[in-house]
Amino acid sequence: MSFGGLHTDHRAIVAAAVIVFSILTLVMAVLPGLREGALTASAAATPREPEAERGRRIFMREGCGFCHTQFVRDLPMDRPYGRPSQPGDYAREDPPMLGTQRTGPDLAAVGTRQPSEAWHLIHLYDPRAVVPQSVMPAYRWYFVEKDQAGPDDVVAPVPAGHAPAGKVIVAGPDARALVRYLLSLKQPKVSP
Amino acid sequence: MRDPNLIATPGADPATVRVTFEYVAWATVWLLVGTTLGLIAAIKLNWPEFLPYAWLSFGRVRPTHTNLVLFGWSSLALVGLALYVVSRTSRVPLWSPRLARLALWLWNLALLGGLVTLLAGVNRGPQEYREWVWPLAVVLAVAVLIDGYVVYRTVAARTLPEVYVSNWYILGGFCYLPILYVTSYVPFYQAGLGNTVVQGYYMHNAMGMWFTQLALGISYYAIPRLLGRPVYSYALGVLGFWTNLLFYPLIGAHHFIFSPVPWWLQSTAILFSVGMMVPVWAGTGNLLLTFKGARGAVSRSYALPFFVVGLIGYGLSSTQGTIEAFRTANIYLHFTNFTVGHSHATLYGFIVFIAWGAVYGLVPRLTGHEPSPLAVGIHFWLALVGVLTYVIAISVAGILQGLAWVAGQSFIVSVIAAEPMWLWRTIGGILMVSSHVVFATNVWAMRPRSITVAALSPDAAGMPA
Repeated sequence: MSFGGLHTDHRAIVAAAVIVFSILTLVMAVLPGLREGALTASAAATPREPEAERGRRIFMREGCGFCHTQFVRDLPMDRPYGRPSQPGDYAREDPPMLGTQRTGPDLAAVGTRQPSEAWHLIHLYDPRAVVPQSVMPAYRWYFVEKDQAGPDDVVAPVPAGHAPAGKVIVAGPDARALVRYLLSLKQPKVSP
Repeated sequence: MRDPNLIATPGADPATVRVTFEYVAWATVWLLVGTTLGLIAAIKLNWPEFLPYAWLSFGRVRPTHTNLVLFGWSSLALVGLALYVVSRTSRVPLWSPRLARLALWLWNLALLGGLVTLLAGVNRGPQEYREWVWPLAVVLAVAVLIDGYVVYRTVAARTLPEVYVSNWYILGGFCYLPILYVTSYVPFYQAGLGNTVVQGYYMHNAMGMWFTQLALGISYYAIPRLLGRPVYSYALGVLGFWTNLLFYPLIGAHHFIFSPVPWWLQSTAILFSVGMMVPVWAGTGNLLLTFKGARGAVSRSYALPFFVVGLIGYGLSSTQGTIEAFRTANIYLHFTNFTVGHSHATLYGFIVFIAWGAVYGLVPRLTGHEPSPLAVGIHFWLALVGVLTYVIAISVAGILQGLAWVAGQSFIVSVIAAEPMWLWRTIGGILMVSSHVVFATNVWAMRPRSITVAALSPDAAGMPA
């Protein structure tokens, strides 16, 4: 077969490229995207409270999802992170943050695995205060060092040696919101 | 010794030369910025307290690095070279270098905006290579469309009946990227997991339907040109074009194996990941066979070794990608640093080496100024040893992570296991960034001087390439 008309016709090459690629885009991205999007939320999935929703935006701002997945596979090694993820888990997520890298552990159910607000605050202020070998960034810019905590302050109980001596570490509003978000990450129960 | 393959190309139109060089020069600026950020990110995994500022924290630096090396360095270098290739193979001056220059400034505007917003934490979440907020995406899309239009008009004005195979690939790339990019940003089919389906589709196709297209298109011109002989098989080149178009768009979902993304989509992706071996080895084999019996030319040229590395990198790293798509391999390798190794093997070991080969092979012909062959040699070896160190170290890190996870050990064990390899990765990265500094000085040495441009005769523009 000769390449005939195409060989000498730039219009035909462009038309063929555009038509074939558009059809494949429709079949492999747009149509399955529509179908997946139509799946309804799990019965137990509830919308986030506003502070946790604000925390989700901070999670996105800091690019946490480049190192932490929210995607549990049906594989033995993923058992510690929760039950296998289901389409409904992501129904209310915009964008869903399944992720492609686990430089840190999966967070799909971190609110269940690690429910302590104090732990999360210390961990965000200085991850190495709770996990010495951690390579996570310290998010100190969401905290204030004070001589004394005020009546409404939420204090991160950072162990000695990980904070300036004689100071208390007070969580700023963004640190509190971020922790609210992390604690909200619980996999809804699925009925069998 | 000067490159004996270097033959002055008096036929080059000065305006085309200028605009090609401007693309390459700006690409080099983004290369330096983008890879310096990559190095900072790498160092942070060894010393998490290195540069502990919000704007330089790992989660913000990583997307800034990826976007700048993809859309800043690789895209601008390839577009600049492609503009020259379509002009030469069509034997006409570039249609409207002014529009091409306008597009360049739109690219730069989008890239600068992307640099600032991502470091400031303004993004669309961890959606790889589409983290930019939509106004920046619009600017970039317009730039690509303008460049595509300039390419199309240049090919349309060609003085030969045939559309040379280079231009199939280049025209294709300029058709695919706008479709892909718009598809990735339009929201109405991206609710819930729909977003993930599109993510897999987009991030994978951005590689094979854009970078691969332009890199192969440029190679099909530059390699025969530098060797002074025709391409081994024209038909294989066309076969590669069609099979890439038919298979590549089907394989994006292999980034989400074992996910709740539909099983048929995952299985199709795995199947056609195997199918991709056809265009990959058709392209690699065809271009490498063009070198047959021309070993002497490679050892005498400073540009051709970059092509040899790039072509071998294309074949090997694509084969690696196919193997990674298999479910068994995926169990051990998914989520690990092995993926990071693969993306650097493909982007750097294939695309970037091809871009460098083409810059060194073509730009001196345009401007009439060569870099010092010694400096090119230093660049070559620093980059090659650097990327090999990088890829081997990070792949071993990935395997160690996977083994720790499969063994059911505590997560931190995988971090401790990867640490020494991360140090080697940083060492490789230092070599790579150093090579980029040498490359930048070489680009400066090749710059067009006003006297040279005047000496090129525009009336020779229609001369055969």
